[in-house]
Amino acid sequence: MKIAWKEMKKSKAKFLILGSIIFLVSFLTFIISGLANGLSQDNAALIKDLPDGQFYLSKDADSTYNLSKIDEEIQKQILMDNPNATAFSVQMGFVNDAEDKQHSVAFVASTESGLFENVKDGEIVLDSSLKENGIEVGDVLTNNQFSGEFIVKGFVDQQKYSHAPVAFIGMTNYQEIYRVMEMQTIFIPGEEAPTLSALDSFSNKEFLNAIPSYSAEQMSLNMIVWFLVIISGMLFAIFFYMMNVQKIGLYGILKAIGMRTISLFKMIWYQMLVITAISLALSITLSKAFSFVAPEGMPFHLTMDTVWMLSAVFMAVGFIGATISGIQVKNIEPLQAIQQGEM
Amino acid sequence: MSAFTIEKVKKTFSNGEIEEEILKGVNLSLKEGEITALIGPSGSGKSTILTIAAGLQRASCGEILFEGSDMTKMSQEEVRHVRATDFGFVFQSSHLVPFLTVEEQLQLMLDVAETKTSKKEQAKAIDEMLKLVEMQHRKDAYPSSLSGGERQRVAIARALIHHPKILFADEPTASLDTKRSKGVMELLRELTRTLHLTTLMVTHDEEMLSYVDRVITMRDGYIVE
Repeated sequence: MKIAWKEMKKSKAKFLILGSIIFLVSFLTFIISGLANGLSQDNAALIKDLPDGQFYLSKDADSTYNLSKIDEEIQKQILMDNPNATAFSVQMGFVNDAEDKQHSVAFVASTESGLFENVKDGEIVLDSSLKENGIEVGDVLTNNQFSGEFIVKGFVDQQKYSHAPVAFIGMTNYQEIYRVMEMQTIFIPGEEAPTLSALDSFSNKEFLNAIPSYSAEQMSLNMIVWFLVIISGMLFAIFFYMMNVQKIGLYGILKAIGMRTISLFKMIWYQMLVITAISLALSITLSKAFSFVAPEGMPFHLTMDTVWMLSAVFMAVGFIGATISGIQVKNIEPLQAIQQGEM
Repeated sequence: MSAFTIEKVKKTFSNGEIEEEILKGVNLSLKEGEITALIGPSGSGKSTILTIAAGLQRASCGEILFEGSDMTKMSQEEVRHVRATDFGFVFQSSHLVPFLTVEEQLQLMLDVAETKTSKKEQAKAIDEMLKLVEMQHRKDAYPSSLSGGERQRVAIARALIHHPKILFADEPTASLDTKRSKGVMELLRELTRTLHLTTLMVTHDEEMLSYVDRVITMRDGYIVE
């Protein structure tokens, strides 16, 4: 692979331009993916951050989370049989601060568990994004459906639901605001959650799709990301193909002096691998750095799973583009390749 | 005894529906230690027969016998192996690898030929070959910084570093002035004799014929003299 490396060293400008294009295209894809994931987190971080398990809705809710009401007796029995289980409800609402300014929130109330914030009646724990609105620990908040007051006990990071900051409140307070005694959902963490005949069960992914607007929003975002990935992938493949086709005269000379076809392939693959790896490393680093400098309030969430998956896709399409051009080099007679290179 | 024999070789190129026969049955024998020159007007087929003999393109029919084997019946890989180990090729415009130094061009050829000698021996062989073509002082230079004559000298060195049995040269002096052309031809004649090579070259420069042992004239796809 010495010859491949020597060419890269001697033709720095050419490979730098190619690397820059790959860097820009992959950087764009990572940023758009981060923004799409960020929007997804903004919509359902509360649910997405829960461990794998099973969600249960009442059968008459017809898989619609908002319509679900778990019978109190059933709930009591399930919680008794499954000590890790928790019953919870999420409803959109608002709180008023001391200056009577309204803040939209998603109220969350749950039975005692390690999965959600445990809040006493009269207390409220808010998503930290509300700090930017001037709310501080110790502030008193009100709600026009609630006879008492909420004292802010603290803040939690990245707890959003339906693009609104989450507000954890006590169960009794929740029941008063929404005039219901039943909880909407039961969640049992773990892979071996029981089947409960009285309730419909959902995996984490299925439950996310039961949230109104979530699946429609995700489909649109995923469409954007995958469309971008396909376009980027095609660009990758075309660039590697073009680079090697431009060098067909050189490959012709190397074939003429008797270089093995596999050595030519190795040269093509090595250059593709080095350029792609360096460009991807740079765009991954800058994309991750972007999350620290992204403006406050901009939902940006780029997971390493997404990074590795996209990187694998780019590597694969780069490899395909390079291989297709390699096949062309393989099939051409040395003299024809030299003559094409001279044109 | 013939080191290399071409028998009834034909080559047809098709351009859409039109088929053009460039070689119409060429017979040719090359002898060891001799330089054979192919001359003839443009389009007579002299470069075509040279590149077919060198295994750079396939004949449409006929036989090319090298050491008792018919190259037209060999697989692509077998022909490549012959090119890498037994043939050397000097192109009209040198065709050096632009990103390798003079020394690296020769090392590449040794690697391609899978020479079984040690790195130390290879370095010595490269030094000797560069000395032979009087290019040892430019061993770290890239092709872009060499003159036309120097590039052709390096191309000759690359073609011979792996001790091929047959050297093919396609108008090796075409891009050089008379002085440099004579220098390259003297070098080819000397190397052919000292290394016991069989050399087949194409030229259209009659001044260079004084350096060759045999002249073959081609016209319209046939050998006429």
